[in-house]
Amino acid sequence: MSRLLVVDDEANIRLLYSAELTEEGYEVETAATISEALEKLAQQNFDLVLLDIKLKNESGIELLQKIVKERHDMPVILCSAFSSYKDDFSAWLADSYVVKSGDLTELKEEVKRVLEKKAQRRAAGL
Amino acid sequence: MDWECCWDRDTVVMGECPNITEGDEDLLASKARRILEKCCECERFRRDLGRFNESGHPLAPIFAVLHNDYRRQKSQIQSLVSFLDSKTLETRFLHELGSVLQSSVDLDEVLSVALTAITAGKGFGMNRAFLLLADQERHLLRGHLAIGPRSIEEAGQTWQEIVSNDMDLQTMARSFQQYKLRSERDKFQDILDKLVVPLDDLNHIIVRVFEDKYPLLVHDAFNNPAVDPAFARLMGVDTFLVLPLISRHRRIGAIIADNFITHRPITDDDLRSIETFAFPVAFAIERASLYDRLQEQVDKLQLANQKLQEQQELLVRMEKMALVGRITSSVAHSIRNPLTVIGGFARSILKTTAPTDAKRGFIESIVTETQQLEGVLDEVLTYSDSLYPTRDMWDVNQLVETAQREIQDRLIRQDFTVHSHPGQNLPPVWVDYKQTAYCIRTIILEDMDGLEHGNISISVAQHGSEIDIRIEDKDRKLSEDELEAMLTPFAETCQMGSGLSLALCRSMLDKQNIPFLVVAPPEGGVVYTIKLPTRKEELL
Repeated sequence: MSRLLVVDDEANIRLLYSAELTEEGYEVETAATISEALEKLAQQNFDLVLLDIKLKNESGIELLQKIVKERHDMPVILCSAFSSYKDDFSAWLADSYVVKSGDLTELKEEVKRVLEKKAQRRAAGL
Repeated sequence: MDWECCWDRDTVVMGECPNITEGDEDLLASKARRILEKCCECERFRRDLGRFNESGHPLAPIFAVLHNDYRRQKSQIQSLVSFLDSKTLETRFLHELGSVLQSSVDLDEVLSVALTAITAGKGFGMNRAFLLLADQERHLLRGHLAIGPRSIEEAGQTWQEIVSNDMDLQTMARSFQQYKLRSERDKFQDILDKLVVPLDDLNHIIVRVFEDKYPLLVHDAFNNPAVDPAFARLMGVDTFLVLPLISRHRRIGAIIADNFITHRPITDDDLRSIETFAFPVAFAIERASLYDRLQEQVDKLQLANQKLQEQQELLVRMEKMALVGRITSSVAHSIRNPLTVIGGFARSILKTTAPTDAKRGFIESIVTETQQLEGVLDEVLTYSDSLYPTRDMWDVNQLVETAQREIQDRLIRQDFTVHSHPGQNLPPVWVDYKQTAYCIRTIILEDMDGLEHGNISISVAQHGSEIDIRIEDKDRKLSEDELEAMLTPFAETCQMGSGLSLALCRSMLDKQNIPFLVVAPPEGGVVYTIKLPTRKEELL
């Protein structure tokens, strides 16, 4: 079972993603801040991080940069309220990005796709 | 002894002396003046003097000597006065010329004055004058301007006009600059084009004049070994003078002048007069050229300053853009999260709600309404993003392909087939990539809206300086009202979309000055055409 870490400062979003993705068969952990996310990443194994860009007084991009630097094999999907974050080149470091929506179909499809891609890379020994 | 002349009489009456005419009445009673001014030149007096000489008087030969010497000195004085008069005229002319040249920094005015001075009757009175100017690197002398008639008929007409107008030099030069400068240049263009002299060609007569730094009168040009035969043929005259224009050791140019029409001989006196004219002309030409260059630099500086101001304005705009970006990001975050939570949980609840449950309809309404609000939010945010397009040169085929790929899932889900016809050898287009791609995506999605399957054709082709992206759906049927409503913001149609998307596309493309045409023929089908520019100027 793949383990996902959802990082979002909105409790209701964490709750929604957690419920929906658990129903899809994933084991989901959540974090509200960058420090909490880093702590969990250091202590537990995850297969993928779902990361909100705009955290309270923090930038999800900072966490993305740290993950890419320290855990380069960890895929990250950026979740954002507004597509203009694509203009930030740092956001290109992410494996995928989705615009938040009440319809979680796209999010679920991206999670599946990115995890499959990670599995393929592992199988290929990359 | 009876004297034939009236020199021995104190007074005479009018008619007694053949040399006293009307206007000389005061000499009738002035014996001394009459003798000096009239008698000494009178034949009667000479005969009286001869008779006196024959009389054997010892003073007679002395009188003859004095008389001859007096006449010689008088002739000398007259010729000196004449010379002085001509020099006075010349000095006045040079003074007038100098005043005009000193007061002008307009190169065309200076050249007009110089050439007018050479050819005007009040000036040096030559028939034609050609001005050659050195290029900036001082490698070549090139024919720049010429003045004068090309035929006897034209000469007669021009000189008649000059005589009847009776203008001073400055007025004449101004008139020339205003009415004739261009036509004279055109008239002599064939000769001017061929008047090209390399300044390192030391054998050329003009370059040699620079070495001597003195005007040269060239005689027998057609047979003169010092003159290049081609140059002599070009000038078409046997005699001409070459005037070097040198200012502070710099070779500014040269003037060639001749009497092509009248063939009046050019004298050494002409040459000396014209020599004094060379320096102020050379100096004025150099000063006017420097002023021209200075003006050019000032213009460049002004342009740079203008660009700097534009950059500053752009910076201010960019700051505003950043502010707009921050505001929209904040608004998006504040609205999107609650919508996501409401819509998301409504869908979750819906999944576990039985179809027969009375509340299912309410939950479905929440899902639909949040979905619609999300759509409106997307459009509003995209619109705010579109306020400041960022343009660059892009490959239009790639642009269409990317836009199509981004909606590939939706195309498959709705069983839509897209037939692509990319253009061949197309130049890049000058557009905001993100916005144009959004418009292509939106047009296709709006066309697909509400349909379960269909066919769309996308073709790219160049028409003149524009590249057309043509999106066609032959199956879609739209009335004129529906078409109009579709392109009007917030006007909902039964047929298609939320009513904002295509209007937003039009607004975005309008901001880039990109024409967007939608045509729905009565027989059916819809054709959307976006005409993309290939040149930056078309957007200015």
